[in-house]
Amino acid sequence: MTDDTTHQETDAEPEAEEPRADGSGIVAPDDETPTWRERKTRTQGLSQLTYEYFERARREDQDLRQESDYVERDVLAFPTWPHEVIRNLAIASFFVGMLIFLSATLPPHIGDPANPSSTPAIILPDWYLYWSFGLLKLGPLNPDLSILGGQKLMADRTYGVLANIVVVGFVAIVPFLNKGSARRPVEQPFWAAVGVGGVLFAFTISVYSAKNLIPMNLDLLFDLTFLIPIVGGFVTWAVLKTMREGYMYDLNRRYYRLRPPK
Amino acid sequence: MSLEKKDEYDHKGWMKQKDLSPVETVFLTTLIWLDKRLRIVDYLELMENLYYKVNLQMPKSHTEQYNLDNKFWYWYPLYTLGLFSTLAYVVAAISGALLGFYYSPSAAAGTEAAGTVAYESIAFIMRDLQFGFMLRSIHRWSAQVMVAAVFLHMLRVYFTGAYKEPRELNWLIGIVLISLTMVFGYTGYLLPWDQLAFWAGQIGVEMSLSIPLAGEWVAQLLFGGFSLSQATLQRMYILHVFLLPFVVTTLIAIHIGIVWVQGIAEPH
Repeated sequence: MTDDTTHQETDAEPEAEEPRADGSGIVAPDDETPTWRERKTRTQGLSQLTYEYFERARREDQDLRQESDYVERDVLAFPTWPHEVIRNLAIASFFVGMLIFLSATLPPHIGDPANPSSTPAIILPDWYLYWSFGLLKLGPLNPDLSILGGQKLMADRTYGVLANIVVVGFVAIVPFLNKGSARRPVEQPFWAAVGVGGVLFAFTISVYSAKNLIPMNLDLLFDLTFLIPIVGGFVTWAVLKTMREGYMYDLNRRYYRLRPPK
Repeated sequence: MSLEKKDEYDHKGWMKQKDLSPVETVFLTTLIWLDKRLRIVDYLELMENLYYKVNLQMPKSHTEQYNLDNKFWYWYPLYTLGLFSTLAYVVAAISGALLGFYYSPSAAAGTEAAGTVAYESIAFIMRDLQFGFMLRSIHRWSAQVMVAAVFLHMLRVYFTGAYKEPRELNWLIGIVLISLTMVFGYTGYLLPWDQLAFWAGQIGVEMSLSIPLAGEWVAQLLFGGFSLSQATLQRMYILHVFLLPFVVTTLIAIHIGIVWVQGIAEPH
């Protein structure tokens, strides 16, 4: 408070002076805005820490900008406006046209009304939930423990719900497992293989969820559900490993020389 | 001393001395009048600042910058899947609002044999309503396409490593969004209250019942009981047309806002 009052007293204009009409005497209210340094000296505790950090962050930004030979812009990314937006708008009109075309040519139909007393032979959710539905049918993988006398630790249904949570949870923490500046699949064959395996698993588990979709022995189908993703992932890994050298040569020449990875 | 209020900075005198055209005079008078009441100059300054900040970013295109002769990654069409899902969401929202005028979420017995009011309102939309069949078709297709686009969008982000620092937070928001999209689809799937809907609902109840500890509570909350009834349909309807739209729209806005601030992750 004392800081404020002394500040105002020293800056106050003498009252005798007439207001000037030419606009030159107008002081923008922003001039009164305290700098980060001033705010820092006035505050204490957490807010002071915050201001100190702001000051540091600004200095860091400034230093990085001055050091960088990347002079075009200071955001390390592809600009949303105008590049991305213009490109997207052009494709957007095609897209909406496609939607209307699809709706006109392939309209949906409605089934029989709900009847609690007759269970249909095939119960399925919409296609995008097949994977989740398939994970509910992982009963054969639910281990029965000899300690519990061959009993299962949890019901098969609970196991299926947990499987859903585990899958979604794993996808969620991917950014915290896979770090670094690599962008292309060839740069990280392992993570590309995990991705391909995951996509394949989404398909195979979907097929497995509709058990009678493919006429095949159920045990074999169950095994294939897990084998195909693993094999697919391994093939991806091998292919990318092989391609890697040539690709990385190009990448290093074109890109990483200009922007060295952290 | 007059009681008339003084114009401290004498804007009128300043305007007289500037010799303005009538258009300019009207403009300035309006501006000053508004500014005295609403302080709009502050906001104009803000807008101007924003305008320059947005337009400052006019770099060489990515391909020029890095001398990429392989344009495939730059023009990679999958980079527009995020916009596609947003567009499909908007189309679904508009057609859904129109459908909502005619749909009633009631599991009470309808006039025809075996049908419920909900089922018959869908039948009415498809049979009797002008443009109704097309409307439902558009709504359904935009929903399907949105889910597909969201899945592919996630794959694109995964395989181009676009989730990496500093974009982890947006990836997490994306996970929430894709889950909510599927909940959106599921709740919508139940609304016609036909055989498919009913038994999909049954699975939903069983799924929530098998959640450890909280199962029964979840089933009560989401489905209004352990077997399907009017309460279920009502809850699915409210989730579908009230709760989810607010939450998902907000999240989409945040998601896109973060993309705007951070820029598109560079393909290379």
